[in-house]
Amino acid sequence: MDSSNSPIIEILGLDKKFGRNTVLSGIDLHVPKGQVVCLIGPSGSGKSTLLRCINLLETPDAGIIRFHGQDTTQMPKGLLHAKIGMVFQQFNLFGNLDALENCVLGQMKVLRRSRIQSVGIAGKYLERVGMLPYRDARPDQLSGGQKQRVAIARALAMDPEVLLFDEPTSALDPEMVDEVLSVIRTLKDGGLTMIIVTHEMAFARDAADRVVFMDAGQLVEEGKPEALFTNPKNDRTRAFLSRSLRGHGTGLA
Amino acid sequence: MPNTFFGWIHLLIDEYGSLFLQGAGVTMLIAVVGTVAGFVIGLLVAILRTIPIKPSAPAWQRILLRGFKTVLTVYIEVFRGTPMIVQAMVVYYGALQYLQLDMSALLAAFLVVSVNTGAYMAEIVRGGILSVDKGQKEAATAVGLTHWQSMTNVILPQAIRSILPAVGNEFVVNIKDSSVLNVISVTEVYFMSKSAAGTYLKYFEVFFITAVIYFVLTFTTTRILRLVEKKLSGKDSYTVYGSQSDSNAPIRYSPEDR
Ligand SMILES: Nc1ncnc2c1ncn2[C@@H]1O[C@H](COP(=O)(O)OP(=O)(O)OP(=O)(O)O)[C@@H](O)[C@H]1O
Ligand SMILES: [Mg+2]
Repeated sequence: MDSSNSPIIEILGLDKKFGRNTVLSGIDLHVPKGQVVCLIGPSGSGKSTLLRCINLLETPDAGIIRFHGQDTTQMPKGLLHAKIGMVFQQFNLFGNLDALENCVLGQMKVLRRSRIQSVGIAGKYLERVGMLPYRDARPDQLSGGQKQRVAIARALAMDPEVLLFDEPTSALDPEMVDEVLSVIRTLKDGGLTMIIVTHEMAFARDAADRVVFMDAGQLVEEGKPEALFTNPKNDRTRAFLSRSLRGHGTGLA
Repeated sequence: MPNTFFGWIHLLIDEYGSLFLQGAGVTMLIAVVGTVAGFVIGLLVAILRTIPIKPSAPAWQRILLRGFKTVLTVYIEVFRGTPMIVQAMVVYYGALQYLQLDMSALLAAFLVVSVNTGAYMAEIVRGGILSVDKGQKEAATAVGLTHWQSMTNVILPQAIRSILPAVGNEFVVNIKDSSVLNVISVTEVYFMSKSAAGTYLKYFEVFFITAVIYFVLTFTTTRILRLVEKKLSGKDSYTVYGSQSDSNAPIRYSPEDR
C-alpha cells in the first residue's frame, strides 16, 4: 500500500481514563487507506478500549481522532458508524432478527436505503461470507463461526471504509477459527482498511501489513510483521511474544 | 320474597343481571384501556430513562437530561408509593376544584389507571431492558442506530418477550383493582354491586355474584394471555436455502421475495 497517502485514520495524543484508572495514554497511530493493522498485547493493555474510542463507543479524555482528516467527534454519529464498522468478540448479532434482517436494519435506518435495495445488498454480503443459505436463521440457531460471519456481513452491508475487529475469533471453537479468518483475508484482498485486535499470532504475521504492540495503555512498538515478530526491539515486546508464541506453539523464531 | 340462598341469587340475577353485565363491561374497558395506555407510558418512560448521558455532551444538555430523568423517577416513586384509591380522589377532585375541570368519572378512571399502571410498567420495562445483553445496544450503536432506533428495533422486542408475563399480570391486577374507582362513582362492577345490594340489603348474595364475575374475568384473561405468550415466542426452525432434504426450500435467492 502507498503509505504516502494521507491516512484514513489518524490518532493523535489519545488519552482515556476510567475514573482514576488511565487505560490509554498518548496513543499516536496513523492508518493509511487499504492497510491491515493488527493490534497485539497482553490482556488489559487497552486494545479494546482503543478500538472503541475510534468509533466513539467510548469518549476519549484527550487527544484527537481524525477520519479522512475530520475530527470524529464533529462528524454526524450515523455517518461515523456507517464509515467505521465494528465486529465484536461476542458477535452481538441482533437476537430478535434473522441473519438477513441483521444486515438490513442499519442500511434502512441509518443509510435510508429502500427495503429492496437493502435486502439485495445484505444478500450479496451474506453470500460473500458464505452465509446466504442461512439468511432465515435466527442467531441462536447458528454456530459461533456462522454468527461471526453474519456479523461481518452486517458490518460490510453499511459500506464501511474501515472495519474494526475486536478479537473476532477468541470466542470460537478452534475448528471455526479458520472459517472466520479466511473471510477476513478475502476482505484484505478486496483492499478494505482494517484494524484487528487478535491473539492469533500466525494470522497477524501473514495477514497484517503492520503489527502494533500495546502494553499498559501505551503503544510500545510497531512495524512490519516480519520485523516485529523476528526481531522485536523493545524488551516488553520480546517478553510478550516469547510468552504468547510459546503458549500457542506456532514455532516462530 | 325468596327464603333460600339460591332463590336470592336467582332473583338478583333476574333483576340486576344487565346491571352486573354493564358493570363488568366497564371494568374490562377500564382494565384494557389502562393496561394498554400504561404499557405505552411505561415503554416511553423506560426509553427516556435509559438515554445515556455522555460526558462529552455540553453541560446544559447533561443537566437538562438529568433533571428530566429525575422528574420521571419522582413520577414512578409517587404513583407506586400511594394507593390508587387515593390517587383517584386526588386527581378527580383536584381537577374539579382547582382546574374547574369536571371530568366524567370514566375519563378520570382511564386517566388514573393508565398513569398508575404506567409507573409500574416503566419499572417492568426497565427490568426487561436490563435483562438484554448490553452487547446488543453496543452493536446497534456501532451500526449507527440512534438510541430510539436501537430501543424500538433491537432492545425492546427482546425485552418485551421476557416481560410479557409481568405485563399480563398488570392487566389482571387492573381488572381487580379498578374496583377502587367506585369512590369516584365509576360504574364498574363493584359500584354496580353496591347499588344492587342496597335495595334488599342482601350484601352476601350480591357480592357472591360479584366475586364470581371477577373470577371469570381474571381466569379467562389469564388463559388468553398464556396463549398469546406462546404465540409470541416465535418459530424455532428455519429453512436452509437450496436444501436438498426439504422440498419447500427455495433454490434461487431474490431480494423481491422478502
Ligand atoms: N467500562 C470500563 N470501566 C472501567 N474500566 C474499564 C472499562 N473497560 C475497560 N476497563 C479497564 O481498562 C483496561 C483496558 O481494558 P481493555 O478491555 O481495553 O483491554 P484489552 O487489551 O482489550 O484486554 P483483553 O485482551 O483482555 O481484551 C482494563 O484494565 C480494564 O479493566
Ligand atoms: Mg479486549
